[in-house]
Amino acid sequence: MRVFDDLHVVELSDTAAAAIAGRLCADAGADVTLVEPPAGHPLRREGPCVGDDSTVHLHVNAGKHSRVFDFETQADELRKLVEDADVFLTDWPTSRLERLGLGPTSLRDRVPSVIITQVTHFGDYGPYRDYAGSNLVALALGGQLKITGDPDRPPLSNYGAQAEYQAGLSAFAGTVANVLLRDADGRGDTLDISVLDVVATNSEHRGPALNLGAVANRAGLSVSATYGVYPCADGFVYLTAFAPPLWERLKSMVGLPELEKERFATQAARLENNDELQAVLTGWTLSKTSDELRGFARRGDPLTVMETPERLLTSGQWRNRGVAHDIDGYSLLGPPWPHDDAPRPAPALGEQA
Amino acid sequence: MDWRSGRLPLNGMRVVDWTVYWAGPFLGEMLHDLGAEVIKVESPSNWDSMRTVIDVNRYAGDTARPLTPQERANVNQHYNEWNRGKLSLGVELTNPRGRQLMLDLAAKSDIFIENHRPGAKEKLGVAYDDVCAARPDVIYLSLSGYGQTPPERDAMALGAPVELASGLFSLNGYEDADTPAKTGFSYGDPVGALAALSALLLAVRKLRKAGEGSYLDIAMRDALAFGAGAAFTDWSANHEVRPRRGNRHPVFAPQGVYRCRGDDAWVAISVRDDRDWQALGDALGVPDWYTDVRFSTSEERRESHDEIDAHIEGWTSQREPRDAEEALQRHGVPAGAVLDLRQVGDDQHLAARGAFQEIEHPAFGREVRASSQWGRGEHPQPIDMPAPCFGQHNRDVLLGILGMDDAAIEELERDGVVASEIVAGED
Repeated sequence: MRVFDDLHVVELSDTAAAAIAGRLCADAGADVTLVEPPAGHPLRREGPCVGDDSTVHLHVNAGKHSRVFDFETQADELRKLVEDADVFLTDWPTSRLERLGLGPTSLRDRVPSVIITQVTHFGDYGPYRDYAGSNLVALALGGQLKITGDPDRPPLSNYGAQAEYQAGLSAFAGTVANVLLRDADGRGDTLDISVLDVVATNSEHRGPALNLGAVANRAGLSVSATYGVYPCADGFVYLTAFAPPLWERLKSMVGLPELEKERFATQAARLENNDELQAVLTGWTLSKTSDELRGFARRGDPLTVMETPERLLTSGQWRNRGVAHDIDGYSLLGPPWPHDDAPRPAPALGEQA
Repeated sequence: MDWRSGRLPLNGMRVVDWTVYWAGPFLGEMLHDLGAEVIKVESPSNWDSMRTVIDVNRYAGDTARPLTPQERANVNQHYNEWNRGKLSLGVELTNPRGRQLMLDLAAKSDIFIENHRPGAKEKLGVAYDDVCAARPDVIYLSLSGYGQTPPERDAMALGAPVELASGLFSLNGYEDADTPAKTGFSYGDPVGALAALSALLLAVRKLRKAGEGSYLDIAMRDALAFGAGAAFTDWSANHEVRPRRGNRHPVFAPQGVYRCRGDDAWVAISVRDDRDWQALGDALGVPDWYTDVRFSTSEERRESHDEIDAHIEGWTSQREPRDAEEALQRHGVPAGAVLDLRQVGDDQHLAARGAFQEIEHPAFGREVRASSQWGRGEHPQPIDMPAPCFGQHNRDVLLGILGMDDAAIEELERDGVVASEIVAGED
């Protein structure tokens, strides 16, 4: 699907939030110009690397062109570039944009048709508007940090820049939405996305917390014996038998007579004898390899086996779906939807070809 | 987008929402936020399990008597969270007349979304080809764990376990730990829903430009993996398993989650660059940190991370999370209290942006729901409708959209094809 092949996007970013949205614009066929300072985009410095190239940069900046600007001396040129674009995508706060004459309000006054998507950690309105942000801080204030990790250890961030990734998806979706509006009447809209907002919106259990006062805390690897992570002989496996039909299926898969005991006969009984059940099931999972367990998973049994990037890159499922693409000595994941074309590699600094 | 002038991108579009649990329903809710009319279709014999499977059904009001199954199904705080703004049609899909009703509705709709296990839509006869026969330019989106392709199509998928299958779980974990870690409760769902929404909106542009419908096969796993894409690129070239990073960052140093005064009280702090480092020293009352040659670059600070962390925690442990956050933010250091979800709901910034709003639900009463994430700011997009009770809008849909008359509807109700109550079995 290259439905953006008529659009020019200019991206001015520091973080993965706008960079991911720009990457997805490029995947959709847009001509994306990544504006970089002479020292290069900050994510170029985030290792590990392939050769001299940051893997984060290779992933989030794939398919873009690069243009280098000295923000002190070339502000007029940059302003012109943005004014001629269809979409201006940025994670810079308004105060910094204004110094370049690119504040959303003044840009809108000059160019009614440009779509402005601003995705910042706190958004462009509200008491924390001028707060300094990071991926970790957004996870903390948005409620996702507190529910990740072991209960007797500090709250834990997950891998990468997941708050910014979620916001990048949201900013991309919002940008496509505004392209649909502009297609109809030629007018550009301004979007103020906040990473914190997106994290808070995406937090499960918010409904019970806000309306029943039921606050969940981090639970480590196991919610209960019938819903949690178990070690297996060479990895980890998630058992998901939280509902009666799934429990029946789990029992026939495991095939241990202990599971037929009265003590495990109902949901309530299984919760009451949780630790005993967990011990029985741990004995079974430890006796199985990931490969054996994958056989159960593929026929629809209630379990899920841990996979690594290594295994997924060579998996039959991903080959059949065309998820990963060989570039030049490395792989890139394509956008998370059906796509025909492999992503183009990320640009060298200043590369516009 | 500007809700005040009714400027929403999916105005005039109708969605058949045959989804369950979280990812699919959240997608439908977001389509409503963007202007679409969304009709949630559930069977009285096989409703969205989110209504009943997790026990969050305690009625906030005065209940001297236990709830009936139908009452329980209408007050569930998970269901109501992810189905806001929809109309509900209760129709028995295993009945051929019920199936035909759904296809008739699809014929008058632009978009069809579903997230049942691959195979379910084919079994009921409501797969892409069936809907396409009724509506040739339909955008039909299937959201599943692994996709509609073999060999993993039939594997069971829920938002939490799918994180194990995505590679992300293997990368998470405390610093240098052998054991991986799982994100929150069910991270595959919101990420899968946002990826699905993105693909769907692109398909709407294709429909409007070229008149072509689409079939979209979206997998939660693929969406989770994309968010960890750099690790896949790293492995492909370097064939090296990296140590887990915990709360530390490859560039920002120091970065961490620090204990504060209070029970399970924490603050997250990131030092992005040398300027933040100077500000942190000022905030903590150690201005000579900045001139200490041992700490002058991010690389050097990473080498002395433990020593720096101990000093920071000495300071944070004497303060409550919000006080630490404010003191650090006053100096421009990225810092945020680690909040639980109730505290998130009380946060003044999110409140000012209109993130959470009250709405009257016909069965639950006043409830707080998250608003459209594209409508926040000084003039937030108001929440216009709560989640529906099961079958609440049968007549609106059958009369208003399908053009039936009262006699036809009564016959459907009498024959059990259309229902406004679930048929509950035993748990």
